[in-house]
Order: sequence, then C-alpha cells, then structure tokens
Amino acid sequence: MSLDREQKEGAELLLMGNEAIARGALEAGVRVAAGYPGTPSSEIIETLSRFSEAGKLYVEWSTNEKVAMEVAAAASFAGLRSLCVMKQNGVNVASDFLLHLTGSGTRGGMVLVTCDDPGALSSVNEGESRHFARLMEIPLLEPSDFREAKEMTRWAFTLSEAIRNVVMVRSVTRMSHASGNVVLGALPEIAGKAAFCCDGPVSDPDCGPVISTPVVAKHRLQQEKLRGATTLFEESPFNAYEGPEDPELLIITSSVCTLYSREALSLLRAEGRTGILKLGTTWPVPPALLKKRLASAKKVLIVEEVLPFLEDQVKILAAEQAHEIGIKEFYGKNDGTLPMVGELNPDLVAAAVGRILGIDPPSVPAEYREKLTALTALVPKREQTFCPGCPHRASFWGIREALQRDHRGGFVCGDIGCYAMASLFPAAGFHTAKTLHSMGSGTGIASGFGKLGPFGMEQPVLAVCGDSTFYHAAIPALINAVHHRADITFIALDNSGTAMTGFQSHPGLEVNAMGEAAPMVDIAALCRAIGAPVVVGDPFALTETRETLNRLLEEPGVKVLILKQSCALSPGKKGKKTFLVRVDETLCRGDACGCNRLCTRIFRCPGLLWNRDRKKAEIDEVICAGCGFCAGICPAGAIRNEEAAKS
Amino acid sequence: MQERVAEPAGQRNGQGGQKELEEQVLRTGLCTGCGACVNLCPYQAIYQDRTVLLHPCDLAQGRCYDFCPRTPTDRDALRRNFQEAADCTPELGAVKGFFITRAADGNLRCRAQHGGSVTALMALALREGLIDAAVLVEEGEGLLPRSVTVTDPNEAGERGRSRLVVSPTVAEFNRIVRGDAAKIGVVATPCQAIAFAKMRALPLSESNAGIEKLRLVVGLFCGWALSWRKLAPLLKKKTDIARVIGMDIPPSRYHTLEVYTSGETIRVSLDEIDPCVREACRSCDDMTAEFSDLSVGSARLPEGWETARGWNQVIVRTKQGMDLLELARRRGVLEFREAPPGNLEKLKAASLGKKRAAERFFGRDVADEETTQAG
Repeated sequence: MSLDREQKEGAELLLMGNEAIARGALEAGVRVAAGYPGTPSSEIIETLSRFSEAGKLYVEWSTNEKVAMEVAAAASFAGLRSLCVMKQNGVNVASDFLLHLTGSGTRGGMVLVTCDDPGALSSVNEGESRHFARLMEIPLLEPSDFREAKEMTRWAFTLSEAIRNVVMVRSVTRMSHASGNVVLGALPEIAGKAAFCCDGPVSDPDCGPVISTPVVAKHRLQQEKLRGATTLFEESPFNAYEGPEDPELLIITSSVCTLYSREALSLLRAEGRTGILKLGTTWPVPPALLKKRLASAKKVLIVEEVLPFLEDQVKILAAEQAHEIGIKEFYGKNDGTLPMVGELNPDLVAAAVGRILGIDPPSVPAEYREKLTALTALVPKREQTFCPGCPHRASFWGIREALQRDHRGGFVCGDIGCYAMASLFPAAGFHTAKTLHSMGSGTGIASGFGKLGPFGMEQPVLAVCGDSTFYHAAIPALINAVHHRADITFIALDNSGTAMTGFQSHPGLEVNAMGEAAPMVDIAALCRAIGAPVVVGDPFALTETRETLNRLLEEPGVKVLILKQSCALSPGKKGKKTFLVRVDETLCRGDACGCNRLCTRIFRCPGLLWNRDRKKAEIDEVICAGCGFCAGICPAGAIRNEEAAKS
Repeated sequence: MQERVAEPAGQRNGQGGQKELEEQVLRTGLCTGCGACVNLCPYQAIYQDRTVLLHPCDLAQGRCYDFCPRTPTDRDALRRNFQEAADCTPELGAVKGFFITRAADGNLRCRAQHGGSVTALMALALREGLIDAAVLVEEGEGLLPRSVTVTDPNEAGERGRSRLVVSPTVAEFNRIVRGDAAKIGVVATPCQAIAFAKMRALPLSESNAGIEKLRLVVGLFCGWALSWRKLAPLLKKKTDIARVIGMDIPPSRYHTLEVYTSGETIRVSLDEIDPCVREACRSCDDMTAEFSDLSVGSARLPEGWETARGWNQVIVRTKQGMDLLELARRRGVLEFREAPPGNLEKLKAASLGKKRAAERFFGRDVADEETTQAG
C-alpha cells in the first residue's frame, strides 16, 4: 500500500522502508526535498513528490547529489526543514559540500538520508556512508525496523535544529526495500515563510552569513554540539537492550542486523545466554550506555555489515574503560568471525554465535536438502542482460562492430547506468566497455586515455554515458577533454530518462519530479557550445551508427555521437510494439546456416529463443518488445518485421 | 548454458574454425585480406583492407579456415586438380604458354595498368558469354580499392588500375555466388587464386555450394601488396591522395614506386615503401598466380621500360586459359608480340627469388628477416 494524502493519523499501514522514511519527513513538516536517483534510495523522493504542493513542499530530482544537498541546505538556511536523499556513493559526490556545510552549520532542520547497498545488490560498489558521519562529525541514526525508520527520520529534524547541523539517517537495501507495519502520526500544519537572514555578524548563528569560517571557532562549536547530541543518545529510545542482565555473550548491533541477530538467537535457542544491545544512534555511540552493557559480559560480538564501524568505536570505548569494566573478548570483523564484505543474514550470524557459544546451529533435515537441490535444478539459469527492445543492446552492437572493424584495439570507458552491463558479460555481443567506475568517470578516464597518443597508445578511446549521467558528472570531464584536445569519441546513450532507477526526471526532459512542465536542457546544444562536433543518430539504425563511428574514430579531438532512442520500458513505449517480429522457418536454416546461432548465442536478446526440437530460432512473442533490430543481424534474413497495428 | 553441438554447415573434415584461423593466420600476420573467410557467415568482415573478427564463433570447423589460402594447403593436390603434369615447372607452376600481349584498344590501355590485357580479356569473356559476371576491382575512397561485380562488358574497361592495395575479391565472389550469376569470372591476386583453388578442390557439398559457377580465374603477378593504413598516411604527406589516379613499380633497378596524379608523377623510394608492405606478403611464395587459368603481369622488353609499360607478359596455365587467349587473338582484342629471349628465364628467377624469401621467412625469426621485394 502506498502513502497518500487521505490516510489519517493512527492508521496502520504496510509501508516500504523508504515510504516510512518519507512519512517521517512529512510528519516533521519537511518543506524542501532534493535527491538524485539511486537504488535503493529512489522511492523516498518519489513518495514525497506525490505530496508536493506549491509553498508547502517542494521536491526535486537534482542533477547530482552535491547539488541536491546544496538545494536542501538553502532551504535550511532560509529556516525551512529540508531533506536530501541519495545512495551510498552519492555521499561521496556530495561530500565536498558536506564538509563545508557541517563547518558552517544549518538553521532549519536538515536531514541527509543515505541508503547503503551492502553486497552491492544494485550497485557496482558496497561503499559505506556511515564513515562520513565520523569524518564530518555529525550524528548518525540507523533504523532497525520500519516503525523506527519513520520515527527516527522525524526526530532527526528535531535533533538537527538542536545541534544546528546536518543529521544523517542511514538505511540499507533490506530496510529501504522491505516492508512492515507503520502507524501514521499527524501531519503538521505547514507554516512559516522562507527568509534568509544574513546581515548579522558572522558569529550569529541565526542572522550571520552562513560560512565555515572562522574555521577553528566554528569547528569547536560543532564539536560541542555533537557532544550535546551524544548526551541525548544516552537516553534515546532508539537504543535498547534485550536479554539477561549478565549474558554470556553480548551482541552489539544496529540496523537490520538487529533482526538478523534476534533470529539467530532464536534459531540457536540462545536467548537466555545472549543479550542484544541494539543501537539506533551509531555515531557517536553513547559511552555510558556502552560501559554499562560491556561491564555485564565477558564476550562481545559486534554484528554489522561490511566494515567494522561500530566495532572500532566499541573497542576504543572498551579500551578507555578497561580499568573499570575489565578486559573483554571481542568477536567481529577483525578476527574473522563475520565477513567484512557482502550482506549478513540470520544464518551467518547464527553460525558466528554458535561458534562462540559452542552451539551447533540446527541442521537442515536431509530430506529438505534433497528437495531443495531437486527444485533448484528446475530454475532456469538467467543472466543479467539488456531487456528486449533495449536501445543499449543495439548501441553496443553498433559500437562493437565499429571497433572490431577499426581493428586498433579500441575500447569503451563505461559508466553508471543499465549500460554498465556492456562491461560485465564477455560472451555477449554488447561487451565493449573495459572500465567502469563512478558516475561520469568514463568520460574523465577517456579524457586521460585520449592524451596518451604521444606515449605510443594507438587504440581509439570511446566513452559512453547515459543522459542522466551526462548532467550528473560527465559535463566537466567532457569540457576537460575538449579543452585539452583529448582524442576521444564520446557517445551519449540518450534513452530519455533515468531508466535504471525507474524513469525519474532529469534536465533533459520537459517535466520535473513534481510532474510540472520544465525547460529541457539539450545535450546536443550543450556539447556544441563546449566546442565538440555532434552527430545525432538512432541506435536502431545499425549501418549508420557503425559507419558514423568508424568515421569519427579516424578523426582527432573530441567527437560527440548522441544515440537517441527511448528505453523499451519507458511509459511511452512499454507494451507498444513497433514491429511484429517473427522467424520465417523456411529461411532460418538453423545449425546448417553457418551463422552459429548469432541471434541467440551472441546477440542474446531475451526475446529470441533457440528451439531445441526444431533446431531453429524463434521469437518469444510475449516478451519481444518489437523493436525489430534483430531482423538486421540475421544473415539469412529469416527474422522478419511486420508493421504492428497501431493501438 | 546452451548446449553446443558442432554441426558445421555441410559435412567436412576440416582442420579448424575461426579460433584456429585467428591463431594461425590473423594473429601471425599471415592474412592477405583476400576475403575468402568473409560473407560466408556473420563473423568475419573486411574493413579497409583488413580481415576483422566481428564476434567469436566457437564451431570447431569452418569454411573460413578451409578456404583460407594461408592455412595448411596441399599445393600438389591442388595442381593435380587443375593443371596438367607436363606443364608444371618448379619456378612458375604450370606453363602452357608464355606471351607478350596488350589490349588492341588504345583507349582501354590508357585506363588500365600496363598493356590492359586483363581488362580486355574480362570484357571479352563477358561479351562472348563465357562468363556472365566478372568480379573486378575498382577504386574506392582514398586509395582504398573495392571489389565489384560487373555484367556489362563495356563497364569492365572502366576498371583496371592498380593501387597496390588488396581488395577482398573472394568475399565479393562469396556474396554473388548465392545470387543469379551462373558463370563467374574473377581477376585474382596469387593468394586469392589459391583460395579459389581450395574452394574448387573440396568435394562439392553445401559448404562450397556454387563453386561450380566459377568459370575463369585471371591471375595477377604480385610481388607484394601494401597495407592501406600504412600507405595512406605516407602518401598523404606527399600529395593529395584524392588526386591519385594510378601507381606502378618500374623494374627493380629503379627501386621506385611511381604515383600518378592528375598533374604529376611522384616517385617514392622503395626503402620508404618497404615498411608499408603487408606482413603476409613477405611469406608468400607465389609471385605469378600459379593457380589461375592464365596470369598476367608487367612486361620486360629490350626497348626499355617506357615501351614495356605498355605491354603485359602472360603465362597460360590451363586449357581454358589458352582457349580464352586464342579467342582474344582471333577477335583482335589482344595484340601479340614475340617474347624476347630470356624473358621467361628472368621471370623464373624472380619467382624463385620470392619462393626462397618465403622459405627464409618461415625458417627464421621474423624480426631477423632481411627485407625482400620481388616487385
């Protein structure tokens, strides 16, 4: 069930973690929310956008996370409560501003929500944003269930106003994307006019200019406020202990790991021997609370995902208090009890607890295991691939053919988006990208490669970049390449939306996050203004794409090719076939052709099937998107396109 | 994930597929760019003058490997297939006859290389219905030639200038053999002629379907070909390559490549040209297109180069070749003059020189190989 304006206070709803966070912000009276899409964070801004209303709540998808944080900060400076939202690596993008923002301090409550992705379920990193809280010296809150996700977000605004600084709320994929029951609180009456009072002295936190200088004085003030927050944390209801007063083993945990820990103890029937100290305020950890609990147990296991963030803090506090609480045995990341990479789950935690307490985790019955093995064998193997009708598959097919023809070992510097798959599966015909890092980095890396000609590098250098990524971080890199005469071919894969995360708007579209008409910023015009020659093409026009690229690869300097074709899943295209595609069985010669199943073995569109009985290709009419591109690759001309009836 | 059953097109006992082709020919620099592996399947293509692999093919056996002139080839078996044992010489392959000829049509000579004999013979073959399609080479952009199919004998005369860069003639044959043409003639370099001979030698099956349409192979003498990607930048420094109308290599004592533009003749030392020679050509042992019906090259005459450049030397190798030449004589399409004494011996010596250079190439490390030109 999704949130809407009609739902009343006291209603209990099944909410996704991200919706709970959004609701918390609404209950806190948030006025401005800005973010950049990124799984698993995107639904927070999407949910808030449905509540947007002129003068009451402004919501935007910013061009990148740094800009989002700046937009939210401005609202705070003007006295409004504001929220900025991003995934873990978004904080890296925003971090330069964040460092200075935490130095200057804020006015209206400002909350930074980051959604981390341990195990990189939908990321190309499992970076940790928690460390930024310590680095920037701002409080960090981590909800462990859905109710808490809402309550914590709401309280974060209060805390922000108390310490006059940003408060960070950190979620993870299993919190953001799982659902649980949440009781709605009241939505406040929205009041208060935006005004930026800035004529006072620099020392006046309410009316002075908002700057991070004088640095030492402001830094001292920031630390004093943080100590104040730590005092509040000692009594915070978000921190709780459950279990015997003198446990054999003390688990210290936070976030969804709290649920894993509870489940693990239940599996092992070890609740009577083990206590769980669940922390919601994980930076700084409240020292008195920690001391009280550490004193009660000899063995301590810290359960958290990826790096030892809590573990480091707990060990420091334990060392400082060792003369009072005694020496402890620590279990966690550093001794290998728990893995320092990937997600945790109840089984991993149970195994760890079992080893410490000498309990064998309950074994799965042999019969169950056999059934499981039999069932898993039935699950068809599926590879991550481009969707049927995806313009990226066509773009990379053209790029690959051009590069293979060019024959100088040319390669693509990849970037972040669905098209990152071009770097992941060597067997597929779309495999061309050989570097993959952060947003916009493909272009920056290409700019560097493009200067290595005098060092003997003869390989042509290409960079690909999606439309949203173009605005996010590619523009400075492209300007760099133009200004320094780097020899690169820059390809914008413009599929008209932030497709991978669910078609959020971006500056290339004529609509904004709130559904209002917005001026479109044209990629081609921007590139021309920078001084790069621009060719605009259709990725479905294979020969043209290939020939254009082969020509561009021979030319020096920065050349821009925009391959424009909207995503097959975009609202405008989904379910609408341009062509009815079929395989003419009289023309498909199957294994006698010599094509060696180019369509299913190399092209690998999920809409194409190899019929093992008839030994011929066929179209899966259910999932074929009707783009018709495959008709152009069949050497026998057996794949036929018929104009689909317009619906 | 998918089960792979190696069921190559037609049943053959080939020795390799794309993987072996890549390892043995493409990566080793032996590929001549003849096009024999192209247009059979979607996996290889010619771009500029190079063979490129577009996608990996995992079939254990392939026509690409079977047809390639640089995969292991039983030359003796090929000879037995097409040539009479009595005609065979160790230096030049089969020699049924040796002639000095030129096109009788002076206009045609102007547009063609040397005496224009090849152009005249292809036009004749089309006109007489010996063939109904001729695969020829025409100039493309920026010195890059392309192979085209011509059915009108008058059009054949428009093509015939050499750029010394290879053109994928066998790929063009592979393309048109599936079409309407019933009797195809080709003008082939020695490597291309070997590819055609290999295609013809295979038992007729689905794999070489259509090869019976190949009725005439007119070979070209060839000392080496030049790599376009190396030649084009070199010549761009010397002239506007769009204005180049032809190239030639005078006898070896000149040690020069002549480049003809609409306004002037540019002479480039072969020392400068040598780095542009295709690696594959350094290991080629066939200077005179031994696997053709007849093969044609530049002439050497006592009057000197200025006269000789207007004539051709022709080695006839098969009965079909002889029939065509005699038809040309009867129709007055070619003019003949007596071969000067010693010409055949000089040709044999030059051909033997190339065979020895190829032997040295394979016998010694590539990097140590002294450069040789049979030009």
